[in-house]
Amino acid sequence: MSSESSKKRKPKVIRSDGAPAEGKRNRSDTEQEGKYYSEEAEVDRRDPGRDYELYKYTCQELQRLMAEIQDLKSRGGKDAAVEIEDRRIQSCVHFMILKKLNRLAHIRLKKGRDQTHEAKQKVDAYHLQLQNLLYEVMHLQKEITKCLEFKSKHEEIDLVSLEEFYKEAPPDISKAEVTMGDPHQQTLARLDWELEQRKRLAEKYRECLSNKEKILKEIEVKKEYLSSLQPRLNSIMQASLPVQEYLFMPFDQAHKQYETARHLPPPLYVLFVQTTAYGQACAHMKSSQPPRQDKTLSVAIEGSVDEAKALFKPPEDSQDDESDSDAEEEQTTKRRRPTLGVQLDDKRKEMLKRHPLSVMLDLKCKDDSVLHLTFYYLMNLNIMTVKAKVTTATELITPISAGDLLSPDSVLSCLYPGDHGKKTPNPANQYQFDKVGILTLRDYVLDLGHPYLWVQKLGGLHFPKEQPQHTVIADHSLSASHMETTMKLLKTRVQSRLALHKQFASLEHGIVPVTSDCQYLFPAKVVSRLVKWVSIAHEDYTELHFTKDIVEAGLAGDTNLYYMALVERGTAKLQAAVVLNPGYSSIPPVFQLCLNWKGEKTNNNDDNIRAMESEVNVCYKELCGPRPSHQLLTNQLQRLCVLLDVYLETESHDDSVEGPKEFPQEKMCLRLFRGPSRMKPFKYNHPQGFFSHR
Amino acid sequence: MERAMPQAVPLGQMEVFQALQRLHMIIFSQNVSPCGKFLAAGNNYGQIAIFSLSAALSSEAKEESKKPMVTFQAHDGPVYSMVSTDRHLLSAGDGEVKAWLWAEILKKGCKELWRRQPPYRTSLEVPEINALLLVPKENSLILAGGDCQLHTMDLETGTFTRALWGHTDYIHCLALRERSPEVLSGGEDGAVRLWDLRTAKEVQTIEVYKHEECSRPHNGRWIGCLATDSDWMVCGGGPALTLWHLRSSTPTTIFPMRAPQKHVTFYQDLILSAGQGRCVNQWQLSGELKAQVPGSSPGLLSLSLNQQPAAPECKVLTAAGNSCRVDVFTNLGYRAFSLSF
Repeated sequence: MSSESSKKRKPKVIRSDGAPAEGKRNRSDTEQEGKYYSEEAEVDRRDPGRDYELYKYTCQELQRLMAEIQDLKSRGGKDAAVEIEDRRIQSCVHFMILKKLNRLAHIRLKKGRDQTHEAKQKVDAYHLQLQNLLYEVMHLQKEITKCLEFKSKHEEIDLVSLEEFYKEAPPDISKAEVTMGDPHQQTLARLDWELEQRKRLAEKYRECLSNKEKILKEIEVKKEYLSSLQPRLNSIMQASLPVQEYLFMPFDQAHKQYETARHLPPPLYVLFVQTTAYGQACAHMKSSQPPRQDKTLSVAIEGSVDEAKALFKPPEDSQDDESDSDAEEEQTTKRRRPTLGVQLDDKRKEMLKRHPLSVMLDLKCKDDSVLHLTFYYLMNLNIMTVKAKVTTATELITPISAGDLLSPDSVLSCLYPGDHGKKTPNPANQYQFDKVGILTLRDYVLDLGHPYLWVQKLGGLHFPKEQPQHTVIADHSLSASHMETTMKLLKTRVQSRLALHKQFASLEHGIVPVTSDCQYLFPAKVVSRLVKWVSIAHEDYTELHFTKDIVEAGLAGDTNLYYMALVERGTAKLQAAVVLNPGYSSIPPVFQLCLNWKGEKTNNNDDNIRAMESEVNVCYKELCGPRPSHQLLTNQLQRLCVLLDVYLETESHDDSVEGPKEFPQEKMCLRLFRGPSRMKPFKYNHPQGFFSHR
Repeated sequence: MERAMPQAVPLGQMEVFQALQRLHMIIFSQNVSPCGKFLAAGNNYGQIAIFSLSAALSSEAKEESKKPMVTFQAHDGPVYSMVSTDRHLLSAGDGEVKAWLWAEILKKGCKELWRRQPPYRTSLEVPEINALLLVPKENSLILAGGDCQLHTMDLETGTFTRALWGHTDYIHCLALRERSPEVLSGGEDGAVRLWDLRTAKEVQTIEVYKHEECSRPHNGRWIGCLATDSDWMVCGGGPALTLWHLRSSTPTTIFPMRAPQKHVTFYQDLILSAGQGRCVNQWQLSGELKAQVPGSSPGLLSLSLNQQPAAPECKVLTAAGNSCRVDVFTNLGYRAFSLSF
């Protein structure tokens, strides 16, 4: 509609003559200028609904007038121009009305906008206020929870229970009537009661302390009295000595020993007590003679008691705790700052230190030879060691081959199977050794003595392999349970070694000593002779070509002693390599043979050499002789001579060779050969004196 | 192979004794059970050990299956010879022959079934029995040994039916000629004698040591082993191992082996022999040494070929001698493993 109106207006402007129109316009502008404020007020007065009606009406009129103008124009005619002019004026009026309405609408719109803006600002202000209030609420809530969570110190105090409080507290503190209803007051009262009680207890504690002080003083006084008693008692003892001697009652001597024994470390103490007890028990059993004279076992303590006492004075040093000793070492090294090597050396010495006291045990055998055993205790390693020495009643000529028999290093080796005393029995020691760079104890045993397992047992020390314990405590019952067997083993060991010692002396001179009670085992005439008896090294033994079987069977350990015997008859030379187990004579010596006669014969290429070996090695039991079978080795050697005789004499004569047999058959044999392997008759039958097959 | 480590293991008295016993053991005889799955071995201590060949040869064999499943004390002296009938194990050594039931042995209840002693002329020493031989046709057993005679025992009644005289020294070995009931025996006197069982007479004597080709006087005359295959006979011992044609009693092949042989047997077209030395020797009939297979013992005394049709999986050659081990050869080429006392 507006476009239509603007279309209409354009031609009108073109067509109208300038001035009057201009003038009219100017006038209406000034009118409007003057009416501006009134028009503002007019808006409030006029009803917008009616304005709308007016607008509609005006538009209809305009449409009508335009239609009429068009109609007139199309018809044409003279009067038409007037008519049109009339109509044009009317429509101008209507346009004025429309302009007026448009202005009014603009003013209304502006007014509406202003009102809306105002209202919006108000709403914003209210919103801000609301948010402030919410924030305040939140803050207050936080404060409240903080207050609620506050913990008072008194809650940590362990109070007496409520019933107890009302029962025990005096009414001036409990104030039952006030506190019953008010938990706050109640708590305060309970706290008061607690304070009261604590005060009382502190009072009591002070009293007890003073009491203790008093008692300590009393003890001091009594001690002084007792120590003043000691010299008096000593003088009485001194005075009684002549009486004791006169009456043959060596109480004092024994007493002195026990006095010293108090300073022994626990394992040595256990050993001392148990061996003394065992010695007394043995002496009592042989009650036919006066007990003191025939003592097979005597025990004594050696070493400086003062040093032992000094060891015990600072109480932390008395414990052989390694950390303590380490700390001590550190102090000393700080003072001196020696080189690293010396430092390690010192540490080693410290670790291997012996207790200043040692226990001497003298074991007397039947032939008046004595085994001297000295037991030491290595404080830092918590193990015991032993040094052995054998003295005999008569002076012994030491044969060369018997060098190791009575040497302190080997005389007690393998007393129990496998107990060679070269490794430490305490598994904890290995770690201690690692610290100071000791590889094994083996390098030190000559100096320290051997830590045999049985020594630990006699000292009551037990080191279980499965569950290593931190502290090993000396146990009397363990010591007692091993005492008798060990003593018996020690005795038999010494006796068998002494017997061997004697036998070796004659063996070196080519004489096989056969005692009269073993004579029945051999024929009267034995032609083969022992010509050499020497000891050889373990390595040399294992390198011999005919000892491979023994080495492979694990019978040639390095704890054994090795010998080489040479038996000769005529041109035949029989070499015998002998393994002597330290457990001799319960474990037999083992012989390996090699015969040099018409070629070299060993058990590998001659069944009869094999049979000879088994005659001495397997059938050794008949050669043991009377118990305790010390004659076994010499009997085996003698048997070997007999076997060689039989072997040589029964060797079938080669008919093709001229001349007489080298070894005419002198032995009486039932048959020369028997069985698939053509065994020779090696078995000697005693009373008849003939040889037969086994 | 069982071999103790050469380390110093702490040994008690008992262990040392057992180790020495094992070290000086000699296995004289072996025999396969009628079912072919078990091997009996007798040693110089009079013990018989039963090994399970099937267990030791099975794929899941452990060290224990190479140990005897049962060991029992059979004789006081060495067990020199053993044979098996279809139910019994017969063992002999110290003058007596004893019978054991295989079924009971395998159940580990070892009680002797019976024992017999041939009628010996009284002597200071009881003569040993070195060889046993079954004669299946007659259901009898021939025993020979220390008293220089062959004793025939009827297995039905257990009585000694006859004794064959002739040898001048003790008898080492026996062999049976299957077709004609004839028995060969070889002894310490150096003679191989052929006996006719029907007439109980000596038919033929070959004194081996008198033939220059095979005589070796430094080793002695004795015949230690003997085997026969129809007209052929192979024997060895002091004299060289020699193949003989029986009808013409001439030596045809002399096998070049210096060491005295203790056991010989025909196997297909080969001759297997063993004796002094570690090896089992395999010979062609022409005298060529086909192979020497080393075993674990320094000397061998017996070979046993398990050819029982009942147990084809256990078809092995076993060899035993101067050790506590029985070597098992799964084929003739090499030693598979050793059974051990």
